[in-house]
Amino acid sequence: MPGNNRRIRGPEESQPPQLYTTDEDEVPAARDPTRLRPVYARAGLLSQAKGSAYLEAGGTKVLCAVSGPRQVEGGERGGGPAGAGGETPAALRGRLLCDFRRAPFSGRRRRAPPGGSEERELALALQEALEPAVRLGRYPRAQLEVSALLLEDGGSALAAALTAAAIALADAGIEMYDLVVGCGLSRAPGPEPTWLLDPTLLEEERAAAGLTVALMPVLNQVAGLLGSGEGGPTESWAEAVRLGLEGCQRLYPVLQQCLVRAARRRGAATPP
Amino acid sequence: MAFVALSEAEKVYIVHGVQEDLRMDGRGCEDYRCVEVETDVVSNTSGSARVKLGHTDILVGVKAEMGTPKLEKPNEGYLEFFVDCSANATPEFEGRGGDDLGTEIANTLYRIFNNKSSVDLKSLCISPREHCWILYVDVLLLECGGNLFDAISIAVKAALFNTRIPRVRVLEDEEGLKDIELSDDPYDCIQLSVENVPCIVTLCKIGYRHVVDATLQEEACSLASLLVSVTSKGVVTCMRKVGKGSLDPESVFEMMETSKRVGKVLHTSLQSVLRKEESLGPKRQKVGFLG
Repeated sequence: MPGNNRRIRGPEESQPPQLYTTDEDEVPAARDPTRLRPVYARAGLLSQAKGSAYLEAGGTKVLCAVSGPRQVEGGERGGGPAGAGGETPAALRGRLLCDFRRAPFSGRRRRAPPGGSEERELALALQEALEPAVRLGRYPRAQLEVSALLLEDGGSALAAALTAAAIALADAGIEMYDLVVGCGLSRAPGPEPTWLLDPTLLEEERAAAGLTVALMPVLNQVAGLLGSGEGGPTESWAEAVRLGLEGCQRLYPVLQQCLVRAARRRGAATPP
Repeated sequence: MAFVALSEAEKVYIVHGVQEDLRMDGRGCEDYRCVEVETDVVSNTSGSARVKLGHTDILVGVKAEMGTPKLEKPNEGYLEFFVDCSANATPEFEGRGGDDLGTEIANTLYRIFNNKSSVDLKSLCISPREHCWILYVDVLLLECGGNLFDAISIAVKAALFNTRIPRVRVLEDEEGLKDIELSDDPYDCIQLSVENVPCIVTLCKIGYRHVVDATLQEEACSLASLLVSVTSKGVVTCMRKVGKGSLDPESVFEMMETSKRVGKVLHTSLQSVLRKEESLGPKRQKVGFLG
């Protein structure tokens, strides 16, 4: 009978069969450590969101939507002292709320939607990387909501989400100082470890350490940095950061073209 | 973090002081405040430590329990972190207010221990696929006075140094049934090696320079910080940028060099203090919470 739990005693938790196979000999193919996978970016595709973006890099597919600015129900708080240069006081500045979600079918194992602490950590990383770029002082008492949905994880998911979120914010017409471009890196285990730019899922899983760098290309400021693992001494990490920043600069022209195309499309759709 | 109200003039004063390598309490940019570490403060735990760094007070308790290993790693035990920001620390943490900060700190702790060399997880295995030791590391924030991450990582390292896991043997009888036997001697324990346990060094960018171990007032003047987790050998296990502002790439490289230097000094002094405290044995005077 379907759903007769009392008579049919099955295991409570289920696992995919891949866990029981030994696929340790699947080694990622050797490749140029500084190659970036070809990127497809499209802005302005969701009709219900103020701004949206879809980014595909290799096997990684991310969809990001921005809504707002919406009024915050925070209540009236008298503003503190005004910042230098007449900016809005800190208590009245706008807020950026980020949400990062993985689709249940995005990785090798199925993950149920309330993803838990890993998704909250990545959402916090998104927020910390986007805040330097957005002019929150221009949206007092307002809240901007950015939600990133990872449809398929093919390696460097956080970097792709960062880039998609920045394009979506620009598409929504939010005032920004600069775009934010993200780049992922991973370090292969072994005696002579080299840092690989833009790793695939297999390279990321076999890696000893991983790093995501977010750069504001025109201002040349590091907006976000998140890395962990046995990376080795600080010189190795410094080299990885340099490689990541270079990768971000190379990715920037693609995003510029994407935004120009989206603006043209919007201009053609609403005739003067 | 805790809210502190600073006027513009006070912020300018702090920033100008830091440019001259002189902070509000007279320290240099790379000096820590006075740190007090005491282990074995809670008797019901397998290991515990209390760290007082200026006005920041952290209490860590480690409990070792037996459980089943994770499916992907059948030969290893693991660590579980939980951080509780109590309402004593600052009124903002009342109710669920401290949950976000607690999850952020716990996630950072998971990240810094997420590699093969920090803690020898294979020594926590009792029998593969069936039993292993799980170390529940619970961090309690008693008072918040700036620089939480550093104090918590020092406390976690001290608590792991103090942890005593009872020695167990797995006996197999004729029918193949396994039985776990605890040793009769209560002092027969395994100690974890904390040689490669990392400590977090937080560097706050103030003006054009960066400072180590910022107080609450200095944190209010800083827009961006870099959190680096470094072991005693200078190996970096985690790097994270925290805060609303952005960092110059050159600053990032300088901060990483500083963290390596400062981290080495921190580790050597912490190791010497912990060894000295342990060598005093059961006769040492416990300071506890009122000292």
